[in-house]
Amino acid sequence: MSAAPQVPLVALRGLTVAYGDDALALSAIDLDIRAGERLALIGESGSGKSTLALAVAGLLPASAKSAGTIVWGGAPPLGGRDIGFVFQNPAGSLDPVMAVGRQVAEVARTHLGLSWTDALARARDLFGRVGLPDPDTLVHAYPHQLSGGQKQRVTIAAAIAARPKLLIADEATSALDTIVQAEIVALIRRLVAEDGMTLLFVSHDIALAAELADRIAVLRNGKLLELGSTRQVIGRPQDPYTQSLVVAHISLDSPPLFAATTDIPVNG
Amino acid sequence: MRGRFLQTPEAMAGTAILVLLATMALAAPLIFPGDPLRIAGPALVPPFQDWTLPLGTDRLGRDVLAELFHGARTSLVVGLAAAAASLAVGAVIGTLAGFAGGLADEALMRLTDAFQTVPGFLLALAFVSIVGPSLSVVVMAIALSAWTGPARIARAEVLSIRERDFVAGARVVGMHPLEIAFREVLPNALPPVLALSSIIVAQAILIEAALSFLGLGDPNRVTWGGMVAEGRTVLRTAPFLSIVPGIALVVTVLGVYLAGEGAVESAAVKKGLS
Amino acid sequence: MAEHLLTVDGLAKRFRRGDSTVAAAEAISFHIDAAETLALAGPSGSGKSTVARLLLRLIEPDAGSVTFEGENWLALEGAPLRTHRAKMQMVFQDPLAAFNPRATVARVLDDPLRIHRIAPRAERPRRIAGLLERVGLSTDLAGRAVHEVSGGQRQRVAIARAIATKPSLIVLDEAVSALDVSVRGKILELLADLQRTDGIAYLFISHDLGLVRVFAHRVAILDGGRLAEQGDARAVIDAPQSAVGKALVAATPKLHGFTGQDAS
Ligand SMILES: Nc1ncnc2c1ncn2[C@@H]1O[C@H](COP(=O)(O)OP(=O)(O)OP(=O)(O)O)[C@@H](O)[C@H]1O
Ligand SMILES: Nc1ncnc2c1ncn2[C@@H]1O[C@H](COP(=O)(O)OP(=O)(O)OP(=O)(O)O)[C@@H](O)[C@H]1O
Ligand SMILES: [Mg+2]
Ligand SMILES: [Mg+2]
Repeated sequence: MSAAPQVPLVALRGLTVAYGDDALALSAIDLDIRAGERLALIGESGSGKSTLALAVAGLLPASAKSAGTIVWGGAPPLGGRDIGFVFQNPAGSLDPVMAVGRQVAEVARTHLGLSWTDALARARDLFGRVGLPDPDTLVHAYPHQLSGGQKQRVTIAAAIAARPKLLIADEATSALDTIVQAEIVALIRRLVAEDGMTLLFVSHDIALAAELADRIAVLRNGKLLELGSTRQVIGRPQDPYTQSLVVAHISLDSPPLFAATTDIPVNG
Repeated sequence: MRGRFLQTPEAMAGTAILVLLATMALAAPLIFPGDPLRIAGPALVPPFQDWTLPLGTDRLGRDVLAELFHGARTSLVVGLAAAAASLAVGAVIGTLAGFAGGLADEALMRLTDAFQTVPGFLLALAFVSIVGPSLSVVVMAIALSAWTGPARIARAEVLSIRERDFVAGARVVGMHPLEIAFREVLPNALPPVLALSSIIVAQAILIEAALSFLGLGDPNRVTWGGMVAEGRTVLRTAPFLSIVPGIALVVTVLGVYLAGEGAVESAAVKKGLS
Repeated sequence: MAEHLLTVDGLAKRFRRGDSTVAAAEAISFHIDAAETLALAGPSGSGKSTVARLLLRLIEPDAGSVTFEGENWLALEGAPLRTHRAKMQMVFQDPLAAFNPRATVARVLDDPLRIHRIAPRAERPRRIAGLLERVGLSTDLAGRAVHEVSGGQRQRVAIARAIATKPSLIVLDEAVSALDVSVRGKILELLADLQRTDGIAYLFISHDLGLVRVFAHRVAILDGGRLAEQGDARAVIDAPQSAVGKALVAATPKLHGFTGQDAS
């Protein structure tokens, strides 16, 4: 938390995005992502988390109109190589008729200039690092032969295959069990520490964000409500909405729902 | 979307050609009423000599321009009908093969292989010479050789779609397998199959022309292929009789191809960005 | 045996992978009573979805028996199976992938009513409106395409579709995992409410033990295709006996460290 350099990796100024004629998906966001930090973006469904992540990666759909600026500290990044993106829907971002190992190798080949053999070896290595069992045979599997969590780990492997500077993970661990989730969190920590990768972590799981991130940004209705160190945001949330998020978290000591006569889990 | 489609000059040129062709085909009976095969003047009038016969006349004194307009009708009808028939047959067979899997898939795909190994033109030629030339037989003959491409693409697409959750969802709700195949899966497999249509239309127009050139076209209709063949006998003295319909053929095929490419490209752009 | 709504005995399924095979499910036995929620928990790849797909007859088991509503469920084929499917429904994890991308909300809800002849055509729009209301959605949504509604709304539509045929068991495969906390809480309340009023039983698949603990009566923990332990949800999660149960509980993210004074 302390040694973060002063020049931000990317600075968003007055970033505003609208889809069609609907209300603004993002309105006037000012946010710095510091090089080498782990920044979590939390907020309820539809608050604009994915929109912000897509905007940073330059992947907004053509139907989106945006205003404001996105300024990069160094050279402007090359999508795919400098930015790794784990999409919210793992099934949708994998090609159903291509072996998953090839899909990851393809990324390594195009961006790192590896030969096919080296790229496949790297895919196998990455499969091991994201905790996929039996990487040697799984590289030949097709997406429908994998469980939900296994598919999600493949997309994480693909996102880090080209050693990006910035890793954007949009709900990357929502389909994973807590054990693998903890492993992925440890892997992401290691990548950030060893390779100097910067992380933008999008999640609706406030506890997970708290475990992983140095700083947390809270979005609601397209506005940035609160931004601060994890300790500050979780321990002493300033905004009433953030406070309610902390309270609504379902944990291992929340009272059971089936026995309750009133609506409980939100007020545990 | 339309704006984006027409942005590339190629797509614009292709569309312009197709619009012109369609206008020619639709306007033919209005501008040149009556039988285009009747005698309209002296034989072998060269083009640009007589303003009532702008492109001159052929060996039998028929109006070349009228023939060209009516020929556009034949080419267009055959091209579109053959493409529609082969896309429909191919999509149905490909969907059944991909969705049923196992033995049915194996059998249908061997059948497709068998059809694909015979050159399409020979197949059409054999079919027409056995059944006899008429417009619908020509259409069928062309479809017979062109359905394999759509069938393969539909099958590949169906293979990936049938693993999707919504197909499982349809089974869970108790839907009949045939309804799943044709109501849930097929419509989602269609876009890449339809992308083939421009190639098939162009191919069909060329095959029809070749059949007519060999005298196997519908004898009661003017066709560009037939016109080329007709002009061949007087190629030395009146080359325009073969050149004019030849150019019409080339331009039409080019137009279909360019417009098709444009459509596929704009669809790809749309898909990539959403 | 016959008193349970669902009795699963010795269910097994192996998949080929490369030259070898993986046992995705092995000797799985459990039962569910009417109006009861059994959670199926376990690490990723432990076979939870495989069990769900076996129960729904989306894949066929290598061994084992399933008795559902007193019938030999695995012996049903063809038209009788399709008819009986009305009684066992499923909600998938990814509500966007679970619907035909071309469908509208109305069509999604019309399918079960039409297929199981629950209502004549003229009456169906009214039934569809009723289903939408039952899951707390505005009836204006009927005309929308499924990709034009939010994730939470879509999952409600999936639940409406599942209850349309008045099932006695609904398999929920990670049905709330992708939803954010506020929406998730409301969906869980809706499900609990449906259970109270209609007596529906749930097989609730989730990797989130916090969720399992608040929502399920009993839990079965899977590991590598085998049942590691089974029992009262709170008892198992508060004091897991199996290694995998302990590991899952230990790895659950907690907020305590931050809400208290000292953070790491
Ligand atoms: N392609 C799109 N077309 C139109 N509206 C969109 C599109 N994508 C998002 N929106 C709208 O923009 C708003 C913000 O959406 P966004 O996907 O950024 O939310 P989110 O915070 O990622 O939510 P979730 O947690 O559900 O993923 C929502 O109201 C959503 O309906
Ligand atoms: N069609 C298939 N072919 C080959 N292997 C498969 C197939 N379906 C599942 N498997 C394998 O079976 C095992 C169990 O998968 P399953 O989908 O049941 O896991 P899960 O418990 O639902 O996991 P998750 O929580 O990640 O969804 C996995 O190792 C998976 O790779
Ligand atoms: Mg999102
Ligand atoms: Mg699963």
